[in-house]
Formats: sequence, C-alpha cells, structure tokens
Amino acid sequence: MSSGKKTWSATLLATTVLVVTAACGGAGGGEGADGTVKLRFAYWGSDARQKMTEEAIKKFEAKNPGVDVEGEFSDWASYYETLSTKVAGSDAPDVISLEIRGLREYADRGTLADLAGKVDTADLDAKVLATGAIDGKQFAVPTGVNAFSLLVNPALVERSKAELPDDTQWTWDDYVELAARITSGSGGEVTGTQLSWNPAYLQIYATQKGEPFYEGNRLGLSPETVKEWWAIMQNLIRTKGAPDAAKSSEIGATSIDQSLLGTNSGAMGMWWSNQLGAAAKASGGQLDLLRMPKLSGAASGGMFLQPAMFYSASSTTGHAAEAAAFIDFMINDPEAGQIILSDRGLPASSKVLAAVRDKLPEADKKTLAFLDETKGELTDPPAAPPKGASAMEDILTRYSEEVMFGRMTPDDAAQKFITEANASIAG
Amino acid sequence: MAEVSVAVKPRRAVPGRPVRGGPRATRRSRREARAAYLFLAPWFAGLLVITIGPIVASLYLSFTDYSLLEEARWVGFDNYVRMFTEDSRFLSSLKVTTVYVVVSVPLQLAFALALALVLDRGLRGLSIYRSIFYLPSLLGGSVAIAILWRKVFGADGLVNAVLSVFGIQGPGWVGDPDTALGTLILLHVWTFGAPMIIFLAGLRQIPASYYEAAAVDGAGPLRQFRSITVPLLTPIIFFNLVLELIKSFQSFTQAFIVSGGKGGPADSTLFYTLYLYLQGFKNYDMGYAAAMAWVLLLIIAGLTGVNFLASKYWVFYGDTK
Amino acid sequence: MATRSRPIPALFRPLRGGRVVRHVLLIGFGLVMLYPLLWMISSSLKPEELIFRQPGLWPGEVTLENYTEGWYALKHPFGYYLWNSAVVTGLSVVANLVACSLAAYAFARLDFPLKRLWFAIMLGTIMLPHHVTIVPQYIMFSELDLINTIWPLVMPKVLATDAFFVFLMVQFIRTLPRELDEAAEIDGAGYWRIFVRVVMPLCLPALATTAIFTFIWTWNDFLSQLLYLNNPDNFTVTVALRTFLDASSDSSWGPMFAMSIVALGPIFGFFLAGQKYLIRGVATTGLK
Repeated sequence: MSSGKKTWSATLLATTVLVVTAACGGAGGGEGADGTVKLRFAYWGSDARQKMTEEAIKKFEAKNPGVDVEGEFSDWASYYETLSTKVAGSDAPDVISLEIRGLREYADRGTLADLAGKVDTADLDAKVLATGAIDGKQFAVPTGVNAFSLLVNPALVERSKAELPDDTQWTWDDYVELAARITSGSGGEVTGTQLSWNPAYLQIYATQKGEPFYEGNRLGLSPETVKEWWAIMQNLIRTKGAPDAAKSSEIGATSIDQSLLGTNSGAMGMWWSNQLGAAAKASGGQLDLLRMPKLSGAASGGMFLQPAMFYSASSTTGHAAEAAAFIDFMINDPEAGQIILSDRGLPASSKVLAAVRDKLPEADKKTLAFLDETKGELTDPPAAPPKGASAMEDILTRYSEEVMFGRMTPDDAAQKFITEANASIAG
Repeated sequence: MAEVSVAVKPRRAVPGRPVRGGPRATRRSRREARAAYLFLAPWFAGLLVITIGPIVASLYLSFTDYSLLEEARWVGFDNYVRMFTEDSRFLSSLKVTTVYVVVSVPLQLAFALALALVLDRGLRGLSIYRSIFYLPSLLGGSVAIAILWRKVFGADGLVNAVLSVFGIQGPGWVGDPDTALGTLILLHVWTFGAPMIIFLAGLRQIPASYYEAAAVDGAGPLRQFRSITVPLLTPIIFFNLVLELIKSFQSFTQAFIVSGGKGGPADSTLFYTLYLYLQGFKNYDMGYAAAMAWVLLLIIAGLTGVNFLASKYWVFYGDTK
Repeated sequence: MATRSRPIPALFRPLRGGRVVRHVLLIGFGLVMLYPLLWMISSSLKPEELIFRQPGLWPGEVTLENYTEGWYALKHPFGYYLWNSAVVTGLSVVANLVACSLAAYAFARLDFPLKRLWFAIMLGTIMLPHHVTIVPQYIMFSELDLINTIWPLVMPKVLATDAFFVFLMVQFIRTLPRELDEAAEIDGAGYWRIFVRVVMPLCLPALATTAIFTFIWTWNDFLSQLLYLNNPDNFTVTVALRTFLDASSDSSWGPMFAMSIVALGPIFGFFLAGQKYLIRGVATTGLK
C-alpha cells in the first residue's frame, strides 16, 4: 500500500497542477502584449467565403496596423447557437454578421450598438439602409441586396414543348398551367416546379392582395390569403406540375444544389436572386430569373429588395471605433469589394457596385440586370420582422405540410398558423 | 434508486482475515473507504469543477425566462405549467420520442447481440466483418448522413428502386409523415456498432475455463449458451439497455441532420431534444428548454431506476455469489 | 482465431457445415449495410458537378480532383486539421482510460460511505440533454479564459466526467470473479496493486472498448469543438468539414465527400488497431 500511497499523492498533485495551470493558461483576449487591438468578427458560410473573408481581413489589417482581426467562423446550421452562447457568456464577438430574421432578436435585446454616424452609409440606398434601423437607431448595415424571385431553366422548358411566359403579366393560373405542361410535355422526365414555403413567397402573394405580412407585432395576413396561397400549391401537386407531398417535403429539406432545378429534373423554382449562381453551377445549364406571377388585377407585383446580410457591432465591445472602421471597410472600400464581390449579396454600396460590376461572375451579372430591370416595380424593402420571426419559416412549413398531406383542412391550418405565428412574434 | 447498482462486497471469510465485526475489520473498512475516495479523486474533482455547476445552473434557469441575450428573470413554475397545459408540440415530441425509443432500442440491441455472437469466433476473416459492420457507426453524426439516407429511402432512393423491380411504386419514405420516423428508427438500428462492440468485449471477458468445465460435465452447446454465456453477459446486456435508453431518449443529431433541423415533415420526427434545442436556440427561450431538460431527466431517471430494480431479478454479477 | 478451444454456441451450430453460406450471408448483409458508404466513396470520385445530376453508384467518370481540391481548399492543408483532431482525440483517449478506470474500480470493488448516492449522481450526470448545460459550461470556461485552448475539451476527460465509460468499466469489472482479487490480497497486495496488476489486465477488452469509443466520439464531436476552437487556426476535422457546406449557397459537396473519406481513415485505423485487443483477458483463461 505504501507504494500505492505515493502513486496516489502524485496523481492528486498532478490533477491539482493541471487544474491550476488550466485556470491560469489560455490566451488573454482584448489587447495583445504589443498594444495591438484584437477584433473578433463572427460570420457563417462556406470554404469559399472563408477564403475571401480572410483575404479581406488581411487587406484591412495592412491598412490599419495595430488592429488584428480574428475571424470566428461557423457553419450556418450552428451559427446562431454559437453566437447566442457567446453573447450569454459575455463573450460577444466585436463585429457580428446577421441576417434580417435574426436582426431584431439581437437588436431588441440590447446586444447591438448604434452605428449611426460611425459607418459611412452615404452610398447606400436609403430604403435598403433603413431595414437595418430600428426606432431610429442604425443597429446594422446591409452588405448587399437580394430579391425573392422565380428561377427557370429555359432549355428544359423548351425541351418539354412548353413556352416561357411573358413574366410581366403572367398570373398564378398561368404558372400552374405552365408547370403542368412541362411535366406532361416531357413525359414526366422533367417536373414543372418545386414547392417553396419561404415566408418571402407568401409575403409577395399577400402584397398582391394588398395585405402586409407583418403589422407591428402581429401578422397582417388574413386566413383567406393563406388558404388561397396553399391552393396554388395544391393545384400544382394535383396537376403534377410539382412532385407529390412526400417528395416535395423531402426536397424541401435539402439545399439548392440538390433541388429539382439544380439536378435538371425540374424546370422552375423560387429562391433568392443571389442563389442563381449556386443553382446554375449545380445544374450546369443556363438559368434565368423571372418575375413572380401576379394575381390578375393586382396593383403591385409585391416583389421587394431585401438585404442579404448585415454587419453589426456588439454593444459591449471595448473597441467600438475599430469595429466601426472594419465594417466601414467591408461595406465601402472598393478593395474589399474586389475581393468579396457578390458573396454577401450584390454590394449595397453603389460606389463599390460600380467598381466591381465588370468583375462579377456571369450569374451575378444576370441578377444585377434583372434587379435593374425590375427596379421600378419593386415595393419598398420591408422593415426587419419582429422578434420571434426567426421561427416563421418553420411554422409556415409545418402547417403547409399538414395541408399538403391532407392531415389538416386549410381552414383549420390557416387559423392555427396565424394563432401560433402571432404568439411567436407577440413580444 | 441504485438499489442493486453497486457491488455489495460479499463478506465471506477469507482465510487469514477475520470476518466483519472485529476491530481489525473497522480499521480495514476505513482503509478501504480512504482508498476508494482516492481512486475517485479525479471524478470528484470533475463533478465539483465541471459537472455540478452547469447542472445546477440549468435547474435554476428552468424557473426563469431566459433568452440567452438578456439576464434571466425568475418566473416560478411558469415554464413547467406551460409545457403541460398549452404546448401541444411538447406532447407530440414526447410521443414521437417514446415510439422511437420503444421500437429502436430493443431492435438495435437484438441486432447487435446476434451479430456479436456470430462474429465472436468460428469464421475466417471475422475481424474484417466486424470492421465492416462497424463502419456505419463511424459515420455517426456526419452531415453526409442526411444525403446518404435520402439516397436509400428517398422517393428516388435505393429502396424504391428495388421495389420497382417488383412493380411496386414506393412512397417517398423520408418525406412522408407516416414513414419518416420509421426511417430514423432504421438509421438508429443501422448504427448498431457500438453495442455490438460492447457485447463482443463482454463475450471475450467470459473465462474460457467455464466452458471447459461445463464441457467436462457434459453440458451441450445449447446448455452452455443458456447457462454460461447468457447469465455472464447479463451485466453487459444491462449496461447496453440502460445506456441505449438514455441515449435514444436524448437522440438529436440524426433527426436534426436528416430533417434539416426542423423535425419535419409535419413534426413527425420532432424528437424531444430537437424540440428543446429549437426552443432554446431558435426561439430564444432557454428557460423553457431547461425546464424541458429537467422533465426529461425525471423521465429517464425514473426509467433507469425501474431498470435497476428489475435488474435484481435477471442480472448476475461475477462478484456476488 | 481458428485455434480457439471454445465451442460454437448451439445457435449457430447447424450452419457450421455451411461456412460458405455464412460467408455469403455476411457479405450480402455487409454490402447492404455499406451501400450509403459506397455511394459516398463513389461520389467523392465523380466530378463535383455530376454528384447530384448522376446519382448512380458507378461513377461514369473517375477523378481525384475532389481530393486534391479538398485537401487545399481551406486556410491550411487538410492534414493540419487532422493533426489538430489527433491532438484533442489522443489526449482524450489517454485521459479517459486512466480517469474512468480509476473511478470504476472504486465503484465496482470497494466499499465506502454514500457509495450508492455517488453512483446514482454519476449516472444522473448523463441524463440531462447537453444543450442546456452548454451555455453554463461555456460561461464557466470563458470566465477561466480558456476559449480557443484545448482545455475545455480535454479537462472533462481528465476528470472522468464521461459517466458512460465509468459505468461501462464498472459493469465489466463486475463480471470478473472476485476470487482473483482475494487471491492477490492474500498475497499481500494493496488496492493499488490489485487494480494495476489484477483488474486492469483482465479488463483489456473493456479498456479497448473505452479507447475505441473515446477516439471515435471525440473525433466526430462537432459542437463543442466548434464552440471552443473557433479560430480557423484551431479548427478540427469535423469543423473543417462543415465549412465545405453552405445551406444558402453552393456547397463544395465533392471536396466534402472526399475529405470525409479521408477523415474516416484515422478512426477506422484506430478501430482496426483497437479491436485486436478485444481478446480474452490473459489471466481468465488460467482460472480454474
């Protein structure tokens, strides 16, 4: 036992030493020994974005000696989880990327700093910029813009002996009919379109009916609108213009590169305009953007611009000036623009956009042309949705699937959807 | 709860050592206790430094309204009341999880045990088979699983391709609310590697001398299997049962990955912990999530307790006679 | 392996003559089990744009492009992340082997006050879904200034917080006949010597199991590695793999599949090495 005792004392000692060194070790945050400021920048995305971002950061550091920017990267699925955990641990990154659904979750809870007057926003479209402002405070600066639109593969439409519509005046009925014709014309080889449960889609439809999606902290939608909207999708399934409910929900859970359009087994689909590049790359064909169909007699097409992403600064950062300078660089500096191009949406700054216009990839040039062409028809960018809206897509998808599978009547589901959505965004 | 969970040291007279009760025995048991606490020192340190704090914190948070981004606000039993009176998704997630556990755990364990027995010995190249059967478990929570699973059970997947040979048009198993949970159960069974390995290790730990002795006594193979293999393996079967129950009640990753983080279609794969996660991190209601966690803890602890009580009747330990 | 003296359980005896049948069944079953994996391997060899457009098992066109591209796609070559993972995983395996077997021996063989309570608490610690303890734990490690160090990942293992393995070893130790300890005790061995010389060698299968699982689970663990090692210089394999994917835009599926296969290499290798130790403990065979 005596040898055992010795071993034990040693083990205990080792454990203690370990805990103590662990407690003392670790890199101190904030300021480095040489007086450089360490700035933490949180973002999500892919390997390509990571590379571009690192490159842009290097540029920034070269221009701002004394600032060391450290990118904190996460994949999209875990982004908000890691971000909120860091905020909860009083360890918020200095510069935070957000998208519009998450904006008010953070802004309304005092997590973000007012950037008004700290970042130069002179070259940004005022209405787009306003989406990042809440109660007069500029909590976030948009990086670039997007429009929810219809993506189409013209070659597949033609091969299915159908014709591309005149998208300035096509109706929802035309859309359903075209989808059905593509499926039948191709002998089932190509499906007309695939379903989408993106709230932006419902928002466009509601605008055509003259209803806002959000009205303060409530939904502005009527149950009738939701039911009519579902009827479009039910018609698509019935006429085989879209796959049956089961396959639709299977595809719906995947990314754009596995979509019908992306795999050349479908001719249409609805996505954000900056996803055109990804879809085109996946399909290997030429894809185009179309205006969304309209209700006959609708005053407005309902399409709108929305920031693809925002930069914001933590309200607790000890380096507010450096954080603002970094955001300013990422938004306004053409050199950053040359690196990032359209990765975070078509640049919001008109100056940067003009500088990189010719360098954009083919798909993005197309998107740009489309947005220029439809500019006059777009409605004002909607304000950031209320706190709780990040769950909206999940809620909408769930009730939509209940209806498509026939497990709920549209009446019942519309009521329940509105009740649950209202509860979620009530405050 | 752990009535029989821990070895009760048999007090049998060992030559040269007095039976319990004498003064030397007290000294001995004190010595033994001291040794035990030394052996447990790292574990105690871990409990104190790493484990207990977060557990107690989560209990406290379950009585608060906590968004993660603001300070927690005490709300008493609100979260618990809301869970059982207003939240139909809570109950449906509990139902989904229960079905999953009740079906997949016995299935997976039976599978694992059967293959462990086949792969224990008697065939050339067994280690290769073992490795092959373990491979799926290595993929575990890989994001690729979501795609691979659709390749098998999707509308255009392998299963339907096989069915179409027989002229049957199969549904999209992954996308249909009636069958989606079934595919996740199969996914769980598919990754039977971990319990299989534990069974194998257990089989290897049974002293060969027992079989030799039994063979000398004229016991046939069936008899040997029944009266040596099964009884001596019961602690391991029991371990697998307890742990698989705990683990599958907490199943998260696979449902999260396959359903794209939503628990769809139409909530048919909304596992309990997936719902908890969505509440905590997507709806910014960590207080509610913590309350859900503690309800789950009570459920699992209750089940485990029953398990331990029942184990008295069927689990045999080599250290008690 | 063929020289084993132990008879085959009766259950499988009837098949003894039909070895070939058994092999055929096992191989067939193995192929079904492996279909998804084979698909992944085949996809990693296809030109990236064809992965979803030509989803069949046989690649029409074979290329190693995904491997070369994936290896160099990130800030560091992929080997860098393999090394990071290996460090975290290796330390975790060693720590778990030592710490968990110590605790397990005490629970399985020694008598001490409040034993049942401590045991129940130990089991209780794995019953809480980790999502709710992540935040308090992060706060703790952040207060200690340990973010972006390996301590938040390794320290829990050093301190035996993985109750799964403690319980696993308890169960294994308890299958061992106690006569062995007692014999050693008569020979004058203390608890430490019994632990090191008698119990541990007999637990080789259990130790191998612990090592294998710790290795695999730590290697595959994602969230805590993402949370605690979020600087691109500290990324581990699982975190690096996720960076190939982007839910909203185009993902690099080809490189992702290719590097997933590469990342499977070490765990599969470790498994192959470890399973050799799933052998009968030496001493048990000698016991009469």
